[in-house]
Amino acid sequence: MECGGEANDDKDKSSSSGSLRLWSQWQLLDSILPTGGFAHSFGLEAAMQARLVISPEDLRTYVIHVLENTGSLLLPFVYATAMSPDKQTWHKLDRLLNAMLTNEVGRKASTAQGSALMRVAASVFSETPSLKMMRSEALSSGAVSFHHAPVFGLVCGLLGFEAKTIQRAYMFVTMRDVISAATRLNLVGPLGAAVLQHQVAPIAEDLSTKWMNRAVEEACQTCPLLDTVQGCHSYLFSRLFCS
Amino acid sequence: MERGKLVVEKVGGRSTLTRCFSKYPFKFIVPNKAGSSQADAVWIYTITYGGGIVSGDSMACDVTVGDGATAVLTTQSSTKVYKSVGSNCSQQKMEASIGKDALLVVIPDPVTCFSTAKYSQIQNFKVVPESSLLLVDWITSGRHQRGEKWAFSHYKSTNHILLQGSETLFLDTTLLEHGRDGSISERLQDYQVIAMIVLLGPKLKLIQSQIQENVKELMSQQLRLPSISAGCSSESGGCFRLPKPSFLASCSTFGPKGTGVVIRVASMTTESVYNFLQDQLASLETLLGAAPYR
Repeated sequence: MECGGEANDDKDKSSSSGSLRLWSQWQLLDSILPTGGFAHSFGLEAAMQARLVISPEDLRTYVIHVLENTGSLLLPFVYATAMSPDKQTWHKLDRLLNAMLTNEVGRKASTAQGSALMRVAASVFSETPSLKMMRSEALSSGAVSFHHAPVFGLVCGLLGFEAKTIQRAYMFVTMRDVISAATRLNLVGPLGAAVLQHQVAPIAEDLSTKWMNRAVEEACQTCPLLDTVQGCHSYLFSRLFCS
Repeated sequence: MERGKLVVEKVGGRSTLTRCFSKYPFKFIVPNKAGSSQADAVWIYTITYGGGIVSGDSMACDVTVGDGATAVLTTQSSTKVYKSVGSNCSQQKMEASIGKDALLVVIPDPVTCFSTAKYSQIQNFKVVPESSLLLVDWITSGRHQRGEKWAFSHYKSTNHILLQGSETLFLDTTLLEHGRDGSISERLQDYQVIAMIVLLGPKLKLIQSQIQENVKELMSQQLRLPSISAGCSSESGGCFRLPKPSFLASCSTFGPKGTGVVIRVASMTTESVYNFLQDQLASLETLLGAAPYR
């Protein structure tokens, strides 16, 4: 009469692996993960020095524009590797994104963050040995730039997260990092930043829904001003951030 | 639908237009003397009947620049895209092939989309390592005098450079469309013109370095550390703030070993972009027989 017993065991196993996945998810989204995200301002520092962003209202608008551009340009890359977290897909998308990130500052930032994320993920999630394997192969071939969006999709895809969650998470970490940069640039205080993050969340959700689950053929940039301004970062005489 | 065709090849040591076919609603004009006869370049002007692109118009053209030849594609005036009727989207598509030691120069006037217009353009360039390409792709916010600032519905421009038929060297798709979370003008703030200039290949090496230097110098003067008062709110008034730069530009390299350079520009006036293009591309006069944007 214990025929329900095994089914319950299976349910317990899957719910406990689901719970474990949550812990991994939270760790990946926590800013304490050493991926060097704090070194990048997503063009905010240049925008401030160009007086495009002066007030907290300007900041709110800027964050929304960064999210829109992230959605339109990068989310398709996150989606593609999340759906097929394998070597061929990853390499192909990494090469394509390298040709599409035409702003050198943004391109270098993407490579830096992606490399760091891959390195951390390969060490931390040792129960997924393909991460370490793919990383060392890519490093020795020298043909992979380790762009952030495809790596993010790859890592999360291999860890078994759901595609929608992965894309939403990518938008989340972008928002988190721009707002964090804003506090260090003294544009807003830590409490104000937290308030702003919550206020922008519904818009971030709208944008995530709008841009998710699209093919890379549809990837495009929607805020050319952002691209222009971020490209100016290397002209700044005095700077806090790498990008 | 038949496609327009342009072929410029070296014949008897000179760049020569060997094939020219255009179909309504566009037409090619090839003046005999576009510039000094010492320069070896063929200048081709594209014009549209009626002076603009009408809702639903669709144009496609194949351009081939043979080994060693030089071709310049330009326009007589800005390309106007009229309002869209229904959900019609106007389209322009160009497929270009650039040979070894050849140079293709695409220097149009800007696209101006009128209120509610819908427009998309695709430009594909097939190159080999020894090809050179100068591409200017730009758009203005509309008929500013009528108060039309970024009032069109949809604009999409794709520029794709493919090396040896298989490797994507450069791919940019810019999409400007009204969204739920903000209009186009919000995303572009007070800037009325956006432009992209791509320089690739051995014939443009010198000009690439010159432009990079010039833009760096121009922009370094425009960018300032925010002053202490920069954080004050607009209500308190009396805060001295430097205005936003009326002209913003940045340069980036692309491709293996940085063989290409792309310049992005955002400007509050069309005139300043014309001046920038005139100044930066002036040295091409010897190569092309006439300076672009004069």
